[in-house]
Amino acid sequence: MISSLSKRLISDIRAFWRSFRLSAWLGWQIESNWADPFLFAIYSLIKPLAAVAILVVMYSIITQGDYTSPIFTYIFLGNAFYIYVGQVMTGISWAVIDDREHYKTLKYIYVAPLQIPTYLLGRGVARFLIATVSVTATLLVGVLFLHVQIDWGAVNWLLFLLALFLGGIMLAMMGLILASVLLLLAHHMWGLGEAVAGALYLFSGAIFPLEVLPPALRVIGYLMPITYWLELLRRSLVGQVAGAFPTLVNLSNGQILGILLALTIAFGLISRFTFKWCDHQARERGLIDVVTNY
Amino acid sequence: MNEMAARAPGVRRVRKYRGWRLFLQTVVARAYPRVIGAQREKSWMFFDIFLPLLSVAAYVYVYRAIQAPEEYVGFVVVGGAMTAFWLNILWSMSSQLYWEKEQGNLALYIIAPNSMMAILLGMAVGGLFATLLRAVVIMVIGSWLFGVSYSVSSAWQLALVFLITMVALYGMGMMSASVYLLLSREAWHISNLAQEPVYLLSGFYFPIKNLGFWVSMAASIIPLTMGLDALRQLIFPSGAALGVLSVEVEIAILLVLSLVFLVSARWLLVYIERLAIREGRLTESRR
Amino acid sequence: MDFAIRTEKLGRIYKIRGGKKSEPKSLTALQDVNLEIKRGELFGLLGPNGAGKTTLIKILTTLLAPTTGRAWVAGYDVVKEADKVRPRINMVSGGESSGYGLLTVRENLWMFAQFYGLSSSEANRRIRELLEIVGLSDRLNTKSSDLSTGLRQKMNIVRGFLTDPDVLFLDEPTLGLDVGASREVRRFIRKWVDEDETRTLLLTTHYMVEADELCDRVAIINQGRVLACDTPSALKRRLQQEAIYHIEVSPLNGRGVEIFESLPGVHKVVHRAHEGSTVLEFILAQDDALGQVLNAMTMSNIHILNLQKREPTLEDVFVDLVGRSMEEVEQSLSVDVKP
Repeated sequence: MISSLSKRLISDIRAFWRSFRLSAWLGWQIESNWADPFLFAIYSLIKPLAAVAILVVMYSIITQGDYTSPIFTYIFLGNAFYIYVGQVMTGISWAVIDDREHYKTLKYIYVAPLQIPTYLLGRGVARFLIATVSVTATLLVGVLFLHVQIDWGAVNWLLFLLALFLGGIMLAMMGLILASVLLLLAHHMWGLGEAVAGALYLFSGAIFPLEVLPPALRVIGYLMPITYWLELLRRSLVGQVAGAFPTLVNLSNGQILGILLALTIAFGLISRFTFKWCDHQARERGLIDVVTNY
Repeated sequence: MNEMAARAPGVRRVRKYRGWRLFLQTVVARAYPRVIGAQREKSWMFFDIFLPLLSVAAYVYVYRAIQAPEEYVGFVVVGGAMTAFWLNILWSMSSQLYWEKEQGNLALYIIAPNSMMAILLGMAVGGLFATLLRAVVIMVIGSWLFGVSYSVSSAWQLALVFLITMVALYGMGMMSASVYLLLSREAWHISNLAQEPVYLLSGFYFPIKNLGFWVSMAASIIPLTMGLDALRQLIFPSGAALGVLSVEVEIAILLVLSLVFLVSARWLLVYIERLAIREGRLTESRR
Repeated sequence: MDFAIRTEKLGRIYKIRGGKKSEPKSLTALQDVNLEIKRGELFGLLGPNGAGKTTLIKILTTLLAPTTGRAWVAGYDVVKEADKVRPRINMVSGGESSGYGLLTVRENLWMFAQFYGLSSSEANRRIRELLEIVGLSDRLNTKSSDLSTGLRQKMNIVRGFLTDPDVLFLDEPTLGLDVGASREVRRFIRKWVDEDETRTLLLTTHYMVEADELCDRVAIINQGRVLACDTPSALKRRLQQEAIYHIEVSPLNGRGVEIFESLPGVHKVVHRAHEGSTVLEFILAQDDALGQVLNAMTMSNIHILNLQKREPTLEDVFVDLVGRSMEEVEQSLSVDVKP
């Protein structure tokens, strides 16, 4: 029995890896297939830098450019790492619209012996890599030109890498929820990933401490895994800045990591059930190969 | 070679309108899928209105976190409302031609006797309902939620600024849409690239004068820069202290931009269509 | 004489983008095409995939400029007077997915009618009439995303006829349609042209039967060149002096047909594998040459299963002109053209 279980497990792992590897490769082929690689490079840098510049300008107008204040580092880092949120959620959810409406290959993916959720997750890998370039560039600009206070000698690299890894999985689960919903929506909703990422900006403590929100809204922030993820990243990179804001100061790194893990698992379960239900609905209603053009 | 010979007698041929009537018919017809689609697929109300309201709220709380004067909250609400129009230009007009090319509709629009400007205007008009709704909801609910108060100094100037800004903006949209006739995949990326930089340089969330006079002037090529600046001067108590130029000068600039963009759009659409026909780009599918 | 369509030394060269590291190549899609299509004609353009049919249609419908030569449609130059051509034409392609999925059949068709200046009442009247003809009247209010491929193609065909063009271009219009639907569409096409001599229709197809059955005249095109242009019967009469035999033999098992090609009186031999046999098509100078062919088969231990003398078809005309069947030409094409 153990032998048959382990055989089954190996088979599942192989199936997972096949689906994931192929879709990650495909995602990269699609994302990197630019007519002009120079334009691609500009795109990967200008867009995130402009987004952070909006906040920098807003901040500098009000505080007369006081970049040494911990709140500036708080805002800057939160915004920089938030790039991952938009990119990963969009990358995974967009694959449904792209494959269904543009390439019209979603029906063939369904017919092939691939795990669809794994396939969708793999499509987000390319965006994660592109986001890494954007985040790195943003951090560099912050450190070099805006006095973002990162003491490289004091960085907790283990915590940082662990948080980044877990965060990637957490964002992938959220992206999968959106992708599932998009199975039932028309082409017009292709921007769902960015819209949701934009909305969660409010609740995740990315650009302001949760204390600024009214108590009723703060609760949503405490339920969002992104809140804990960003907090861990801040603590690993700029512990002293993170400590200046009382939101999660009563929780240790280990506790926050535990909460993040628990929420990631919870969202993983939610994504699983959401996908199953939406997938069933889509098949019932014949939406897998629909082309809405709208 | 001349006109073909007269039609055979006794066979009823269909009457077809030309000129301004065809223009109007085209605008209405192209707006139709947008309008009807919005009725049949209502999910946009949540995703296109409620979610952006939350994004706007995020910027409000940033200002509150750094203890900005309350007027800045108003700037965010107004700027957030106006993003709806910029996004309508980018996604419902300009890069929409890319989708149309992919689906094969672009070729059918080109071979029809209508004007491409009418098609683009139809796209914009069709999206206007959703756009206006988004803008109004953000303004009204945002103002109510965050206690923004306004002090309108001149209602007619306000209406004029808004109207001319829209004309100039949509003229710019038509102009940039012509370039999209030549593009393929990069069209989507260019539109995506034009979001945040324009929010920054046009001063969506802060008075543009904070970027300096010359940057403001360079950014004024985007109609929303002057439009937002004038709007802020007309509806907030600080009034003229906020603006980079006076309202009258900004209205004049917007008028010039409207004219330039509309004339350029007409010329560019014809020129670039010819170029695309020469290079065989109208029916290519390069993803 | 009034020509609905005229081309003069028309040519089109595409630049093909290779891989990221390779130099762009050029592909000649059309070369020296001279056509004169009279008003009131149902003209067919017959050729294999990649022959240049769609390229020619795109030029004539003002979507693509020629690299060389000129073309006129409805009396106007397609490059310099495109805005005068467009009110007079329409186009339908096989397998197109135009329109909007969320709109119904009626709404999609109404929308396209508006682009041509038809009033709503006229458009709706014509939509009902035409849908009745193609058997889609029960789908008037069905969303086009809910239609099957074949029904969608019927909707596309209606879109082409809806605007009552002077010149209509149909590019593989029966693609995706079943046998019955194809027959109905062909019948309708013929009737449409016949009932008004001011109407002209250019149809591209790679189905010989379609061209033979429908067209007043046919141009055979291959690799961008028009090889012949005449009525189907005149084209077939070119081969009437020759004799065409269809011989089914035991499998050749890799043996070539060179033994037959070198025989006196044998003009062409085309072979095709079949289930448990090989089919050989012989174009002979005269019937007398058949004896030599049969002798050669006997000497080579090839068993004859079936022998028929055939009247020439357009396929035979194509083979005679090109040297290979249309199927063989399509199989040999290896260049992926992305114009």
